[in-house]
Amino acid sequence: MADMKHKVLSWPAVPIPTPDEVYAGLTDQAKEYPLSLEAQLRQSENFKKPECLTTIRVLDLSKGMIIGNWCSSMLSELGADTIKCEPPDGDPLRWQTPFGRKEYMVKDAETDEPIGLHFLHEMRNKQSITLDLEKEEGRELLKKLVVHCDVLIENYPPGQFDAWGIGYRQLKEINPRLVYAWVGQKGQWGPSKDKPGNLDPTAQAACGFVHGTGLPKEFGGRPTRSAMWMADHVGGTATAMGILAALIYRDKVSGKGQFVEGTAAEGVIRILDYNWAWYGFDGSIRPRYGNWDLAINIYAVNPCKDGYFMVGGGHDRLWYRIWRTVGQTRSDLEDEMLDDKSLRVVTARLPHLKQVKTYTILADWQKDFSRADAMRELLAQQVASGGVNYIDEVAEDPHFKYRGHVDEFEDRLYGKVLYGTTPFLAHKAPGRLKWIGRPLGYDNEEIYLKLLGLGPTDVAGLKKRGVV
Amino acid sequence: MATAPDFETYCQQLFDHKTAAGKPEVLKGYRVLSCTQYILGPSCASYLAELGAEVIKIEAPRRGEPMRHTTPFNEPLLYPLSRWVPEAGTGLGFFGANPNEEFVSLDFHRPEARQAMLELAAKSDVMVQNYRPGTFDRWGIGYQHMSKVNPRLVYQWLGGFGGWGPGRVRASYDILGQAMGGAFGITGEAADRGGTPAKHTIWLADYWGGMMAAVSILAALYWRDTVSGEGTFIEYSQVHGVTRQLESALPLYGRYGVRRERWGNWDTELCVHGIIQCGKSSYPDSKNPQEAEVGYILVSAHTDEDFKKLCDVIGKKDLATTFAKHDDRVKAENQTTLYEALEIWAKDKNKEDVATLLDKAGINNQPVWNAKEVSENPHWKMRGSVQWIDDPNFGDLHHQGPAFKMSDTPPRIKWALKPVGADNEKVYGRLLGWTKSTLAKMEEMEVI
Repeated sequence: MADMKHKVLSWPAVPIPTPDEVYAGLTDQAKEYPLSLEAQLRQSENFKKPECLTTIRVLDLSKGMIIGNWCSSMLSELGADTIKCEPPDGDPLRWQTPFGRKEYMVKDAETDEPIGLHFLHEMRNKQSITLDLEKEEGRELLKKLVVHCDVLIENYPPGQFDAWGIGYRQLKEINPRLVYAWVGQKGQWGPSKDKPGNLDPTAQAACGFVHGTGLPKEFGGRPTRSAMWMADHVGGTATAMGILAALIYRDKVSGKGQFVEGTAAEGVIRILDYNWAWYGFDGSIRPRYGNWDLAINIYAVNPCKDGYFMVGGGHDRLWYRIWRTVGQTRSDLEDEMLDDKSLRVVTARLPHLKQVKTYTILADWQKDFSRADAMRELLAQQVASGGVNYIDEVAEDPHFKYRGHVDEFEDRLYGKVLYGTTPFLAHKAPGRLKWIGRPLGYDNEEIYLKLLGLGPTDVAGLKKRGVV
Repeated sequence: MATAPDFETYCQQLFDHKTAAGKPEVLKGYRVLSCTQYILGPSCASYLAELGAEVIKIEAPRRGEPMRHTTPFNEPLLYPLSRWVPEAGTGLGFFGANPNEEFVSLDFHRPEARQAMLELAAKSDVMVQNYRPGTFDRWGIGYQHMSKVNPRLVYQWLGGFGGWGPGRVRASYDILGQAMGGAFGITGEAADRGGTPAKHTIWLADYWGGMMAAVSILAALYWRDTVSGEGTFIEYSQVHGVTRQLESALPLYGRYGVRRERWGNWDTELCVHGIIQCGKSSYPDSKNPQEAEVGYILVSAHTDEDFKKLCDVIGKKDLATTFAKHDDRVKAENQTTLYEALEIWAKDKNKEDVATLLDKAGINNQPVWNAKEVSENPHWKMRGSVQWIDDPNFGDLHHQGPAFKMSDTPPRIKWALKPVGADNEKVYGRLLGWTKSTLAKMEEMEVI
């Protein structure tokens, strides 16, 4: 099966709608607002505008887990000069590919070296250099590099850099303005601190997220991890906040850098809403509640004719609009819900059996509708609703294409790559993509010359000694 | 001279959350207006509040924003909701999205409110709002108006789909962002293993989306204060954020036409690196179904060396030979074989039994902890990741700590929330110079 060839459609398979199509039928006055926003925010205008972080240089030494890559991506998308510094055999992520399938990797035009797509997606706007930190000579080079850097990101086992003499304590003596960020799963101190090799979903399991995700046992479900290395994304975003805050403090107040610690687990603990308050309140352990919500009704995904479909209405006005929509084809269901006096106030609908009743009846309606048809019916009543999209549908969604949430980038090295664009849209200094990624050590000559004054012969010597 | 402490002690002292109150705050002196409801907008502002910004949360008079009226199974509530509505309480849905903020009430529709908003914006650095696109512009308090009274203002709009494009009029929620953005469809067990797409239990697209917006606000403030002196308008679409997270899915689809599907509790890129079921509960006598359920644990042994050790532990040395190479282990059909063998081995064990055996062999693992196990865990308690706070309004509350740590200017939790309009006198008096009689008149007219 693996060698079966299929034709891959070029993207987009369906043309991107034009502004005339999108705003057809609107009065000039009604068009004015969205068009004025477009004029301010369209990503095609990005390169006419400056970037927020062009004065910042980031050295990302993380490897093996996506949290560091994600964190530096936040900064590189916003304009920071970002250098990914990998061991001479590369960040292990670079070679990872789904199910080990080499045919799902891509090669660049110059070195013909394969790169995993997960890694490539987080290599945006970064240059790649190599450096062997296990060698004394490599560590000496790092000390020289950090003189020129504003931010350093690393995720080595707790205390490793300190033991090597290149930890926060030592580097701040060399560059007092350095913002030093350590990222990991559970932390570099404390009784359950990170062990070498810990990777997401360690954090997802350790923070309560996995326990709370998925269907309840009675519905045939298990605790469920995110398909993505989601905790790394959250922890990496949180760490980027910490880094930016530290830069603001350095440049406005203290003139000095500081030590930032971000973990995937604590990022998620922070956003596990009322888990901790509820436990503290009466010892409650938040149960899994599948695709429904413990605190809002209607707010759920349930099956429909061609997949899964979301309906949301967190207040009374929407409740009636939803049942009015249902009543257009199934007045029996509308009557059954509206006749139930115990369901008339939003908060009264939250107890479990009330939710069971709500969704049993709602699913009875939507089972006869495709996602697209159910959405059309509900949107006519301004009810938030939509299908669970498959990836091909995400890639082809007209709204996403029109706004450039999904876009194809033609990279000098990697050719055309479909990717998720930066969500940092702004009037004045937006985020953007400048290149999609770099082969391993592609920028050694340039960076070591630019920052350390090492010429080609020097770099060749380093290469020969296995330092880069 | 005293010898330097070992690294762990050094870190513990440096990041101890109990010393945070004695350290400076990064965003002290920055003022943020949070005209937000639900989670996406409020959480964005709250991250800035944890960093020391003066965040003024502006809500509808009397009953506040809708999230105050959400709570799991309609049980836990914090009284009073406001001084006007003492018989109701704030639900825990509101909790975690609004710490450290000042709470004022204002009915944005009213002409008096517009004047107050213009004056507040003139004295602020950031404004965050998540009303439907164009609503604030219609009320005369959009970016076009605010940037005139304060060109240095960073104006952040957040919402589901963004204010332009074919889907601009659509309302959104976290769960819809997850569904439309693609994260929902790829999470959960595969259909042939009895699974369905699964929602990330937290309001991930909201809380994490708020974090993304906070990143862009901090970057915009950095640019304003070190380079340009100018504010900006920023638009964050929640569904856009979710799509950004899809890892290899989009390039894989674009290049090879392969559609990423669900792979449950295992990993598409590494094996062994998945969550398995243990046959026994850690608390077989508990009456709480959350505890009586059997345990689960992440087993991570994807390197050749660790995998060999794992095969020894489970008494399946033959597997170590058959699947000696990672490229073999990670193939879909072989993953099934391996995880089945692991679950058979774990059938007569609970998650702690499994963890002990794996720890002894030096194999990475992580039991799937529930909310109680996380709350009582010495690691999280020591780090202040969860902490009891002495809230001035509501007494002892169990609260999550900030999402990251800083040595010199740590983020911190000062209070969890306040009743609607609790700071009306303070904020309107101090910032707008409203006298007692003005406040009384505004209150009587229900402007505030």
